[in-house]
Amino acid sequence: MATAGPPPRRGLKRWTAGGWYRVLWVTPLAFAATAVLVIGLRVAFRSAQGAEKWHTAGFGALNPASGNFFSFPAVELQVLIVAWLVIVPLAFLVAIGGFDYWAYWVSGRPTRPEDHSGHGARTWKDYFRINTDHKVIGVQYLVTTIFFFVAAGLMAMFMRAELARPGMQFVDNNTFNGLFSVHASLMIFLFVIPAFAGLGNYVIPLMIGAPDMAFPRLNALSYWLLPIAGFTMLSSYVVPDGGAFSAGWTNYVPLAVQQPVGNVFFQMAVQWAGASSILTALNFLVTIITMRAPGMSFWRLPLLVWANFATSTLVVVATPFIAGSQFFILFDRILHTHFFTPGPEGGYAIAYQHIFWFYSHPAVYIMMLPGFGIASEVIAVFARKPVFGYRLMALSLMAILILGFSVWAHHMFVSGMSSWLRIPMMVTTMLIAVPTGIKVFSWLATLWEGRIHFKTPMLFALGFVTMFVIGGLSGIYLGAIPIDIHASDTYFVVAHIHYVLFGGSLFTIFAGIYYWFPKMTGRMYNETLGKLHFWCTFIGFNVTFFPMHWLGLQGMPRRVSDYSERFGDLNFIISIASFFLGASTIIFLYNMIVSWRRGEPAPSNPWRALTLEWQVSSPPPIFNFDEIPQVVGSPYEYGVRGARHAVLNGSGAHEEVVEPEKVRVH
Amino acid sequence: MVLVGVAVGGALALVAVLIPWLPPADSTQAHKIDDLYWFVTIICVVIFALVASVAVYSIWKFRAPPDDFDDGSPIHGHTGLEVVWTAVPAVLVTAISIYSGVVLTQIEDVPAQHRIVQVSAQQFAWSFTYPEAKVTSGQLTLPVNQPVELTMTAKDVIHSFWVPQWRMKKDVVPGIETNLIITPNKTGVFTVMCTELCGLGHAAMRARAVVMSQEDFQSWLDQQKKAAAAGGSAQGKTLFTQQCGTCHTLADAGTKGEVGPDLDKVLAGKTADFIHESIVNPNAEIAAGYKANVMPGNFAELLSDQQLTSLVDYLTKTAGKG
Repeated sequence: MATAGPPPRRGLKRWTAGGWYRVLWVTPLAFAATAVLVIGLRVAFRSAQGAEKWHTAGFGALNPASGNFFSFPAVELQVLIVAWLVIVPLAFLVAIGGFDYWAYWVSGRPTRPEDHSGHGARTWKDYFRINTDHKVIGVQYLVTTIFFFVAAGLMAMFMRAELARPGMQFVDNNTFNGLFSVHASLMIFLFVIPAFAGLGNYVIPLMIGAPDMAFPRLNALSYWLLPIAGFTMLSSYVVPDGGAFSAGWTNYVPLAVQQPVGNVFFQMAVQWAGASSILTALNFLVTIITMRAPGMSFWRLPLLVWANFATSTLVVVATPFIAGSQFFILFDRILHTHFFTPGPEGGYAIAYQHIFWFYSHPAVYIMMLPGFGIASEVIAVFARKPVFGYRLMALSLMAILILGFSVWAHHMFVSGMSSWLRIPMMVTTMLIAVPTGIKVFSWLATLWEGRIHFKTPMLFALGFVTMFVIGGLSGIYLGAIPIDIHASDTYFVVAHIHYVLFGGSLFTIFAGIYYWFPKMTGRMYNETLGKLHFWCTFIGFNVTFFPMHWLGLQGMPRRVSDYSERFGDLNFIISIASFFLGASTIIFLYNMIVSWRRGEPAPSNPWRALTLEWQVSSPPPIFNFDEIPQVVGSPYEYGVRGARHAVLNGSGAHEEVVEPEKVRVH
Repeated sequence: MVLVGVAVGGALALVAVLIPWLPPADSTQAHKIDDLYWFVTIICVVIFALVASVAVYSIWKFRAPPDDFDDGSPIHGHTGLEVVWTAVPAVLVTAISIYSGVVLTQIEDVPAQHRIVQVSAQQFAWSFTYPEAKVTSGQLTLPVNQPVELTMTAKDVIHSFWVPQWRMKKDVVPGIETNLIITPNKTGVFTVMCTELCGLGHAAMRARAVVMSQEDFQSWLDQQKKAAAAGGSAQGKTLFTQQCGTCHTLADAGTKGEVGPDLDKVLAGKTADFIHESIVNPNAEIAAGYKANVMPGNFAELLSDQQLTSLVDYLTKTAGKG
């Protein structure tokens, strides 16, 4: 039975206990203390050297025209900023209470008894503090990521406004470069990856019959790392010298080393987002491996769990590489090392690309595999059929996981890297199409002889399958090296990435949000608005991005604020379509907000699904299951008379019994 | 369902063939790449038609009315089908890989007899050097039907060399030398564009490329050598057209660049000293509405003293007079 929430605090306790009041005074204190430390050390060092005590830290950017790329008049400011970006977030995490339990334990004091008062949400305030309930954390992730999705989407709207006509109308080159850099970084690190983490966080323990994640406190900490990363990226816009980081989300060197101080915000934000991602993945792995309900063998796992299992492995192995690559750039900038800066010291610019893409290619699978899992869940339930070829579906996830580590240099076919590497990378890139194809064909086969219900989650899942095929096929073009030589770094690539990330990842995120909305909120979303959202998105998306294939092949490079006159008309059409696409998001946001407040109360199993999360109330009890479920069969036995996935005894949640099979006669 | 597949496939094929997806193929490498492109396109059209037809057919045939509570047929799998749709894509991608490998070898083959042109990229301009003739130009001039090897390096950050009609592209990296083999097989005027984000002026970083007959090319080269030796306003005009015209408008030279200010306007009535300063130290005074750090600031090093003098000479006589 749910216990009462945390006891209300009065007086001094309010300011010393973990929470926002403590954040209010600890964070400015950390700012000041860091500044004093860094500047003080520098002054002390300078006077020890006998040089002038105070070197006015100018905001001067590097002036490429001067040819003097590696003199950094701003190094003090840069060092100060790095110190702030490390210490202040840590102070914030400590102040909000992320480390409280461990601090007590480490200090040897008696730890506070487990009264679980910090667990679960009873009011809206519980969503704004450190909360160990995976369901609360899942919602925290989703709301936060949607915020950054909207922010990054607005940046895209600005870009499209600028690109609507040739010539520069609204922004200057530097701002434009900043727009697409922050747009991509937010979408990747603050939207797609953590949105899947949030959905997984909510659903996985329920799906495997567990009361929570293996490490609930770590889970809470993982969430709070995320707003830090997002805030860091957004705050780069207000940096006085040069504004937002503007070397693209790929941050290639030497440009990244040469850029003004805003670039440092990207490097540091990636560390915080990466840490969040890695800790969540660890949690998922341990939870999936050790906390499955009795009877839930790996071959009875829902595919969403398989997908997150594969994704978490990718995250844990690959993410340290992007962290490393950004640290190397940071060291080149502030410590004057020469990892990547060419010159007599032996730096090699292309080395950065290898390290970066070794993570960033698996990153695209991190951004897609959970979506594959969601698609399997939604298609099975709304076609009322078992997932076709379940075992091969699970194994293909593993194949993509393994192969995904071997294809990174296909992003570097024209980079000037060792030419012998290109052919093996092309072979592995082509091969990875095979397990992906298996999945697409299996989803189609799952529809066959089904009873298809076109609810919003299903519309998005079907949209995903078709759009992802287009994105995958344009990927085949890009995998063929001679074609890539022509199409690389053009709008053809922009088309490809948006078909797989928007038509792929985003469609499945929408599918998942709509599908689990009743479970998470206890209310039904508005189905008419959902369908409207889908169709506006589908049409707007295709009109925006399909013509970009043509633009790229015809000669429009990417990451450009201006282009050849003859592309003007098509760019105008694309921009209008993109505004329509952006506006369709309003339908979604309205539906979410209004339905959460006033939607029809949801039954525990509105979709008549078999997986465990639907066997408890909507929303679930605070500790998920009143008694541990016993898993007795596959989660997809639709159409099989009397089949059961799990048995829940006396839990108070109603049992879903599969309708007797009615064979369709042709 | 077959009908749907044929319809979709047909529609896609029409889209593929009727819309000009690729720019004209103006190099021997381009023709080979385009053949591979069509091979892949045929395969992709077939696959997409298959996927679309199954999806569309299923959605129509197996749709359930809203009050239907039945389940579908409990089909768990079909080993034969799964083997087929694993093996067939594997064969197709292998075929594409092999064909791609063959084409790659062909387009990167370095013929024994070829001309070398050194390419230098910097923020935000290109410069092309003909080592035997000792000529440097802001314009890439090439003889038709002769293979040329571009040996490229960058001065500051990574850039990338691309002419869409030639198809060939390669990044230009500081600290190492990268190469491209191109055999243009059609005369004409083309645009070299930078395809790796290199900073503020990335979108503007273009150069003119001209392919001419072999005799014309030889005359051009000789003319460049003579002009370099002679100096003066005539050389200044050639230099301007090749090096500055991509970004600046100047009536006398017939250039229409809009990245930087219109020189007829901003240099009108200016002294030779002012013009000289504007070239070697562009950030000293920026025209209203334009930004610092886009025009390269190292023309004092890029151009010889004599080239600089002839350029200033030329500009004083044309824009300066206005």
